[in-house]
Amino acid sequence: MRENRLGGERIGGWGLPGVALSRALGWIGLALVIFTYSGCGTMGVPSRSGQSLRVSEAVDQGDAARRASMRLVVQGLDADGEYQFRRAQGSYERAIQVDPTNPYAYLALARHHLDGGDSTEAANLIDQAAALFEAEGIRSPRVEVHLVGLRGWEYDRAGRSSEAATLRNRAAAQAPDVWGDGYLRPEELR
Amino acid sequence: MASRKPVPGKGRVSKGSPKSGRTRKRASQGGGGWLLRGLGAAGIAIGFAFGLGLAQWVLEIDRVVVERFEGRRFSVPSRVYSAPLIVYPGTDWQRVDLSGWLLRLGYRQQPEGGQLLPGRYEWLPGRLRVHLRAFDHPLRPEAARELEFRLSGGLIDKIQDARTGATVDVVVLEPEPVSAFLGEDREQRDLIKIESVPNHLIGAIFAVEDKRFEQHHGIDLQRVVGALMANLKAGRVAQGASTLTQQLVKNFFLTPERTLSRKLREAAMALIVEARYTKREILQAYLNEIYLGQRGSTQVHGVGEGARLYFGKSVSDLTVAESALIAAIIQSPNRISPHRRPELAQARRNLVIDLMFEQNRISPRHHQAALDEPIRLAAISRESGQARYFLDALSQQLPDVYDAGVLRTEGLRIYSTLDPRIQRSAARALRSGLERIEAQMPEPADPAAPLQGCLLAMRPQTGEVLALVGGRDYGASQWNRCVHARRQVGSVFKPFVYVAALEPGSGPQVTLADFLDDAPLELETPSSPEPWRPENYDHEFRGPVSVREALERSLNVPAVRLGQRVGIPRVAAIAQALGVSSPLPLVPSLALGTAEVAPIEIARAYATLANGGRRPTPRMFVDVVEPGGLATENRPLQGSVPVLDPGAAYLAVSLLEGVVDRGTAVRVRAEGMRGPIAGKTGTTDDEFDLWFVGFTPELVAVVWVGFDDPAPVGLPSSRGALPIWTDFIREVVGVRVRGRFPRPSGVEPLEIDPETGALALAGCPRRSEEVFLRGTGPQETCPAEAVAGEEKKPGFFRRTFRRLLGRRP
Repeated sequence: MRENRLGGERIGGWGLPGVALSRALGWIGLALVIFTYSGCGTMGVPSRSGQSLRVSEAVDQGDAARRASMRLVVQGLDADGEYQFRRAQGSYERAIQVDPTNPYAYLALARHHLDGGDSTEAANLIDQAAALFEAEGIRSPRVEVHLVGLRGWEYDRAGRSSEAATLRNRAAAQAPDVWGDGYLRPEELR
Repeated sequence: MASRKPVPGKGRVSKGSPKSGRTRKRASQGGGGWLLRGLGAAGIAIGFAFGLGLAQWVLEIDRVVVERFEGRRFSVPSRVYSAPLIVYPGTDWQRVDLSGWLLRLGYRQQPEGGQLLPGRYEWLPGRLRVHLRAFDHPLRPEAARELEFRLSGGLIDKIQDARTGATVDVVVLEPEPVSAFLGEDREQRDLIKIESVPNHLIGAIFAVEDKRFEQHHGIDLQRVVGALMANLKAGRVAQGASTLTQQLVKNFFLTPERTLSRKLREAAMALIVEARYTKREILQAYLNEIYLGQRGSTQVHGVGEGARLYFGKSVSDLTVAESALIAAIIQSPNRISPHRRPELAQARRNLVIDLMFEQNRISPRHHQAALDEPIRLAAISRESGQARYFLDALSQQLPDVYDAGVLRTEGLRIYSTLDPRIQRSAARALRSGLERIEAQMPEPADPAAPLQGCLLAMRPQTGEVLALVGGRDYGASQWNRCVHARRQVGSVFKPFVYVAALEPGSGPQVTLADFLDDAPLELETPSSPEPWRPENYDHEFRGPVSVREALERSLNVPAVRLGQRVGIPRVAAIAQALGVSSPLPLVPSLALGTAEVAPIEIARAYATLANGGRRPTPRMFVDVVEPGGLATENRPLQGSVPVLDPGAAYLAVSLLEGVVDRGTAVRVRAEGMRGPIAGKTGTTDDEFDLWFVGFTPELVAVVWVGFDDPAPVGLPSSRGALPIWTDFIREVVGVRVRGRFPRPSGVEPLEIDPETGALALAGCPRRSEEVFLRGTGPQETCPAEAVAGEEKKPGFFRRTFRRLLGRRP
């Protein structure tokens, strides 16, 4: 209510140009709403379709370093998909070299380590990815499902079966197509 | 021997003297016969012994030959490579020194016209075309490809595959060789297999060094006779007759002295080598062994390393003319050095080309083309002595199986985290900074014990060490101050006190809106009968100061008070959790940094703050690869361990940003640096140790300056270590720093009254934004009556208008 009152007070004081300005602001606001909800407005915020995040959604976002880093993440996922594991690891590490604050790179590298059976290294990388996603303000449910699912996978690798089952079930409930089997394939993250 | 040997019945007998004849007969049949028999037996014994000795000698030589050939034949120093250079559209190609990378990797400018061969580049208006060589990393190989970089406004605008026109998003360029773990002989070689050596290189070497190599059995008698005649005619040693096998034997097994016994040994060894091994094996050994010149103080051996030294390319890519030059300099690599005496080198190269033609090793067309080819040498990339400190630290991080002996001989390839550009900037900034400080010192330092310093840069998220300069001059002192020197840290320790007080586990003891008393203080200490009375740097007391101001101005007394409030054991525990591993004395003065800590520990602890409370593990190598291409050791990127509440880490970062924006490190801003930068100065008593630790969201760097034997530098840190850091960071990232320090969800910004620390509501005359752990913001409000009068609070636009008009809200 107070905002309306302030707006009225200001526009009234400015006369006709103020009306034009308010219309322009209205259009800009509408455009912003459409822009935001279409999934283009915020780096890393994906479209509303799908239950889990895919790296390719964010591949053209951010500055030059981030975009290059994302390309390397995609290359890594492709290499993982072709069972070229060391090459994939190299691509993720290079992605981090280019942009050490890229959460997608840590997420993909954590998945890579879990796929290779290494839960210790994966644990830290999941934490790092989570911290960076949060820092970028993109801790959405579609990101969260991967963090939860990967954590469950990590617990499973570490022999913490009951905790693992709980987390994997949570992930599977949210994204059954991706996490239904308790496993995240490179192409499902790509 | 045979002519002197007495033969029975054939002695000199006088016919007219039977007595004497009898006597002689008796003598010959009695004592004389015995003597002869004795002599004969002795002769046989000597001969046997000689034969035995000869056989033993031959066997010994054979054993040596076999041992060297059958075992590992060469000591190949392990080589350390940098991290790869990665470029993409948007890269500042000058800042990343793309042209320098081309030179250091031995890429050569394309001559006018012609096909762009691998290892060549050409600058065109607004474009750079490069034919990248294949990079044969066994795990992460990169194929050869021809790329075109479109350049605009100092940036790479677009990258295309020159053949297909396809857009390339990101290019990983070959890592630079940084240095090698050389043995005492300082030999460097790049082992090759004979299959990779072009025929024209072998032909060139045969032509000038040993044209009958394929016919002789180790010694070329025809050539020996020829050389003998030539030398007799000249009256001096004008011509040699050593075959490749003899040269190999000489370099491989023998010392360089010129004696008959050594010559005999050489000949015998050559015969044994030829008898035991195939010509192909001998030739391969020769090609890997032959001395081909110097790279600085390093001896270059073998055609693989020689091809890199002179042409910056793989031996398999050598042209006929280049092969001829390699063959030409074998005789005397330093005298005929194409770098130092290009005319002499070209004349001898042409002689080799002519010999190849005369011996039908090349066609007339190749002959003429080779003669017409100018000599184009690669720039000599001498190893930086400063990277030696990094190597020493790296060798300590390698598993124990890689001891010094293994590193010097096994020819491992070690892929490191070093960024050569950042390393060069670090070395340059430290060197020029120390010179600048010395110029300001009232008395010149002792040249035998000069002012020292160290600079270490680390990526906070991963702990990768990007640059490490452990001292002023590795040649003069190998003591790695970044890693081993534990020095008093002074005020760079204070943030740990504040973190200990701000983190939720402490209560928290304080928030950033609280005030600390900057007033005289006395503390009992067990080590002294007199109470300890801490003072500030300027010996003034300011009364109540905000937590923020206390750190920004690096005030001692409030830090000591805070340390007492939190408890020194708690402060020490926090410092250790962040990454300090040196023992910390549990005394009140710990709050002021009286502990002695190595710079790498400080870098790690600040990296933890920069990384949201997650402690990274320092990492200096990525892979260790055996000569056969098998990766024997891989250190994967490990991420970091959570050790501190992310909110508390953020508050510390915010405080340290304030130090740069307004406090003791404001000089960073005065130097034009913009963007997210945080840091802390540290100067110990009497200015013995000067520190500056600063970080951006992507890089932490620590600078220490002082004397090895502690003595006053005569400057505070803000004029000593800080300018070195600023020079370094400006060169590495530019004046505009990328990124931001992300604020975690557990932190909330609130407007407070900076004078009282109360929550600033409408009507509060002074307001500034401060950050708090969620739920720990001030309860008091400013003005105190504002809650009741909230209806009268002016809105945002009104406040803005009033500010614009210069009226107080």
